[in-house]
Amino acid sequence: MAGLVRRHGMWVAAFAVMLVLPWIFQTGFAITMLNQIGVLIVFSLAYNMLLGQGGMLSFGHALYFGIAGYFTAHFLNGVGEDWLPYFPVTLLPIFGGLIGLFFGIGIGFVSTRRAGTVFAMISLGFAEMATALTLILVVFFNGEEGIQTDRMVGPEPLGITFGPDIHVYYLISFWCLVATAAMYVLTRTPFGRMSNAVRDNPERVEFVGYSTHRIRWLAFALSSFFAGLAGALHALNFEHVGFETIGLEQSGLALFMVWIGGARNFVGPILGAILITYLNSNLSDITDAWYLYLGILFMVIVMFTQGGLSGLVFMHEPIWKTDYRLFGRMMAPYALGIGSTIIAAIGVIGMFEMIYFLSTRVTEETIAVLYWMEVDAASALPWIACAAITAPGVAACRRTYPPMANSYNEAIAAVKGRMAP
Amino acid sequence: MKTPAVELRGVWKNFGNTEIIRGIDLAIEKDTIHAMIGPNGAGKSTIYNLITGRYHVDRGQILLNGEEITNQTPHEINRKGISRSFQVTNIFHRMSVFENIRCGMLWHRNYKYSFWNFLGRQGELNRRTEEIMVRTGLASRRDVLAGMLSYSDQRALEIAITLASGADVIMLDEPTSGMSHGETEQTVELIRKVARDKTLVIVEHDMGVVFDLAHTISVLVYGEIIACDVPQRIRGDRAVQEAYLGTEVA
Repeated sequence: MAGLVRRHGMWVAAFAVMLVLPWIFQTGFAITMLNQIGVLIVFSLAYNMLLGQGGMLSFGHALYFGIAGYFTAHFLNGVGEDWLPYFPVTLLPIFGGLIGLFFGIGIGFVSTRRAGTVFAMISLGFAEMATALTLILVVFFNGEEGIQTDRMVGPEPLGITFGPDIHVYYLISFWCLVATAAMYVLTRTPFGRMSNAVRDNPERVEFVGYSTHRIRWLAFALSSFFAGLAGALHALNFEHVGFETIGLEQSGLALFMVWIGGARNFVGPILGAILITYLNSNLSDITDAWYLYLGILFMVIVMFTQGGLSGLVFMHEPIWKTDYRLFGRMMAPYALGIGSTIIAAIGVIGMFEMIYFLSTRVTEETIAVLYWMEVDAASALPWIACAAITAPGVAACRRTYPPMANSYNEAIAAVKGRMAP
Repeated sequence: MKTPAVELRGVWKNFGNTEIIRGIDLAIEKDTIHAMIGPNGAGKSTIYNLITGRYHVDRGQILLNGEEITNQTPHEINRKGISRSFQVTNIFHRMSVFENIRCGMLWHRNYKYSFWNFLGRQGELNRRTEEIMVRTGLASRRDVLAGMLSYSDQRALEIAITLASGADVIMLDEPTSGMSHGETEQTVELIRKVARDKTLVIVEHDMGVVFDLAHTISVLVYGEIIACDVPQRIRGDRAVQEAYLGTEVA
């Protein structure tokens, strides 16, 4: 038991967290969000098998997520209407995975012949085609309405009906953990390593005996399997599958989660899925400008980080592995830099919120609620106040960023100095 | 006569209207070291690319151990037993030295596209990877990302990946370029050791290395082989001296 904890500590901890979470967050809202996070962790990890591990930028990976969702919903309805044999609901994600795998094998064979821009364009083409099909093949997709289903079918072993959301929570987190572990193990196999090799240098791969096409195809198919598994979980979670699950927006969501969390690190997509889903559920109620902020966050991360948020964390890895006391000298510069950023952001967000309020309001009302205060967006005062916060904030950023970078570089130099004999 | 390890029969290659390789006939004996020399642009690297499948041959045949391999894909040719290095370093930048070398070995130790073997548990594979790493002088760089290595270490890694396959025919393209004198000597020793029971083809500008190592030498000028013989006779060949060597070696 002790050995198990030592060798697989992270997994044991993840399992424990998964069991405990619903005891901490008991509201229906929280459980719904946790369920969504679980689904999207699987989907974004699957997406990262292509992007981060295999170097393939896809704009259409939601195809396998969505189509598996539709099949799962139809299957459930078939069981419910007694024209299909019973299949345990607990194992339905495997069915979804196989659907994803099936389409991944077929479409992947065509699209992975080339990488880079050609691959990206083909993925876009298939995504558009699938979206068009949802409106044409009404029998299967039911147009914009999508498919309703009911997950409470068949026998109820041990009283597990999958009626309450908490039952679904445990179902999703179980499969989330299994799929995450499986995808992690895949990175440690000959296939996983050669997938990295194809990402780094496809040409050389051909000269060590591997077909780049076969490796990409395999990566694509396996990734589609996990995307399908996530799609089935999605169908079970919402008991509804709509055309939006299959299209560009859902694929873009995976790209955002992976890139913001970080594609270079295995945990990056997990981080991205948690963060984006959390912000999406909470911020979208508070502000209409949520998508604007998401876009800005995305741009800032693409421009200023290498490997997203997890990249920012792991660039400090050499420091904590060598001597965590090196962080001592970094505290003050980091606090100042982060503080200035927050001040500047408060001012900018204030102005965005007023612009949004003025341009989207239906009445002549000009009193907006900004930072828990009632302000008149038509008067000059709040604008001057926001500008008065933004300007010094930005100025402070310009002053505090260089010392922040310096303190990091000094710590890294100290680490290198200690490594040298 | 024994079947040559690598044989070219009347090989032609054009790029557009330019004839780069003009009717090459060449037979490289098994278990020998063959050097290819010639001025820049003579077509040495192009011949490598034709043999290893990177380029397609316009006319002629290429045989490996008597079996035709003309215009097969690079990975098919590699699987049949030709492993090559590149003149411009061609490695996996975001992977460690150890991973790079192991990638060169996987197919040839029969792992193929396996996604069920845990790499950490493959004792024999990892032991052999360490072995190659020690032989190529990279052991102290084991976990460094290949992209972070110094230029000469990258050159050594380039050779290490090539050797990892254990192929019978090894083709090195300017293996010592950019190396210091000491590193060149080490590399020559390594090549000599490796070549003991293999066929080795080498393109090299350092004539000291060439005449030291090679059993046979072919001289390539403007896409044609003007001489192919043992080193002593290449040294005395009038045509070679005029076209290429000058008085440098004679």
